[in-house]
Amino acid sequence: MMSRNSMYTNPKPCKHLADYKLRHGLSGYNLLQEQIRTTPSGKSSVKNHQTEIPRCCFCNGYQKRLYLCLICSSISCSSHTLLHSQCENGHDIAVDIERSELYCVLCCDQVYDPDFDKIVMLKHLMDLPRSGNGVDVSAGRRSSKRRRLCSALELDLKKTKQLVSMRDLRAKSCYPLGLRGLNNLGSTCFMNSVLQALLHAPPFRNYFLTGQRNHEVCRKRSSDRLCLLCDIYVFFSAVFSGDRTPYSPAQLLYSWWQHSANLASYEQQDAHEFFISVLDGIHENGVKARNTGECHCVAHRVFSGQLRSDVTCMSCGYTSTTYDPFMDISLNLDTGNCPSTDLANKSLKPSDNTYVSTLLGCLDLFTKPEKLGSDQKFFCENCQERQDSVKQMSIKRLPLVLCLHIKRFEHFPVRRMSRKIDRYMQFPFCLDMNPYLSSSVVRNRFGNRMFAFEGDELDTSTEFEIFAVVTHSGTLDSGHYVTYLHLKDQWYKCDDAWITAVEEEVVRASQCYMLFYAQKMLYYKANEDLVCQPVSPRADPFLPIAGCC
Amino acid sequence: MIESGEKEKLMELLRERLVECGWKDEMKALCRAYIKKKGTNNVTVDDLVHVITPKGRASIPDSIKTELLLRIRAFLASAAL
Repeated sequence: MMSRNSMYTNPKPCKHLADYKLRHGLSGYNLLQEQIRTTPSGKSSVKNHQTEIPRCCFCNGYQKRLYLCLICSSISCSSHTLLHSQCENGHDIAVDIERSELYCVLCCDQVYDPDFDKIVMLKHLMDLPRSGNGVDVSAGRRSSKRRRLCSALELDLKKTKQLVSMRDLRAKSCYPLGLRGLNNLGSTCFMNSVLQALLHAPPFRNYFLTGQRNHEVCRKRSSDRLCLLCDIYVFFSAVFSGDRTPYSPAQLLYSWWQHSANLASYEQQDAHEFFISVLDGIHENGVKARNTGECHCVAHRVFSGQLRSDVTCMSCGYTSTTYDPFMDISLNLDTGNCPSTDLANKSLKPSDNTYVSTLLGCLDLFTKPEKLGSDQKFFCENCQERQDSVKQMSIKRLPLVLCLHIKRFEHFPVRRMSRKIDRYMQFPFCLDMNPYLSSSVVRNRFGNRMFAFEGDELDTSTEFEIFAVVTHSGTLDSGHYVTYLHLKDQWYKCDDAWITAVEEEVVRASQCYMLFYAQKMLYYKANEDLVCQPVSPRADPFLPIAGCC
Repeated sequence: MIESGEKEKLMELLRERLVECGWKDEMKALCRAYIKKKGTNNVTVDDLVHVITPKGRASIPDSIKTELLLRIRAFLASAAL
């Protein structure tokens, strides 16, 4: 149950806390435990059985922060804690009564002790209604983590290195391998843009390039039926062949039309819908998954993660938790608008126009506790009636490649109209998803705690690097998709058949619609192998990749 | 008012309103900026409290002040009976 998450390595205790622990151990904490009470929202306070208002023993005040001495239980306000410590030698450690947080009088600062946090949280958990309180204090499952790590390594590049060492005599520039324009086959920029991103999703790319997709023995192909996976394999081979002339993904388009008949038309489609539909096609075409457990098709192995949803009853604190898989996360734009600001309230936000939406803001919004409307009262198992509740989302497990979709298209079924939200959104190139993990989000419900539980995802890093941005410009009906790819420290704009190198400012200023992030380690490994070496006279003979014409 | 638990309820309501209107986020941002300026190891909780309190008090939206005042008055009126 000890914290092993590097983000939360316990800060070294100050000298005074260390001394206190040496002399008193956990006895002070244990005595305090009885007096801790927690509200359904998760705030733990120290409340002794007396109904009297706690007051400072020096000034009788009760309005400032009050601290309870761990040794003698006397209460001082923030102005007088030092006085108490001077009067009684060694009485240096106190507890903030309202928040149940440790305070060192001599350092004048908050201090942290996982043993203390453990005790506070245990009390909280004990007081909560039994079962389904949203927290599992048992040790995290380790086998699933290990399996995922192995899965990631399988999609490793060892085999690809052989392919990449091949020199293409036709490659004129020193552009990285795998950069090739895609012809627009009639409003198919929605497809081209997503394909460019998929071409460079490290584990996805590796799967198709290392021949894990053995298309020669594909049963569908041999019986002359369409196979989406084979077509994708052919597509990858063509793009990575070294030929720089624009490619027409007609076969792939046709194959996809067969799968998503409802989207088969020459009209512009939504790139995000295409993305989901392609992954779905891959999933269905792949190996049939076992009834239980995770699916091992390449789409799931690369893109799937798990979301956690907690619904907490506001009356009793009972929390109901559910887990759902996801292939991507759709985010609402954070606009900085809040429901209760007056028009007269100019001091807080002078004008909404100056608020810049950011990806982190959207993620914050996504994981923010949301009060469910009175028409959505949740049936609380503990209270046995419908109660007002709060819902909060968090990420239980991150995928290898994270696709974030910004909801820019608003549909109003009642008015039968849709519109596009053009609002600019700032996004980072390096993204740390730690604050949005279930472990972080749930931990925050207990106040300022250092103690980690529920098996933090330690083996999988939470750091991601961006590798593709799908942008949309124009209106809902007549718009254009363009993808920016980040390869080997250079950004490339992929506008259908035209590929150009661009500066990073251009990408930052673009109107993003879908963002693709890969786990940092995978991204850097993938980029190492994209080295395009100049042709030397004594080079190996050109080795054609199967499927390349 | 404290003994009846009303103060606690009002405090909860106040917290909710302050989060809703973004005041809490604003304070958080101010704290972060201060910590960045001073250096993580040179700031104590007491420092922060002293620096932020005046700014916090000044930037509470009027609508929230009004709402809380009304509720307090209503409680006192009902308790006096």
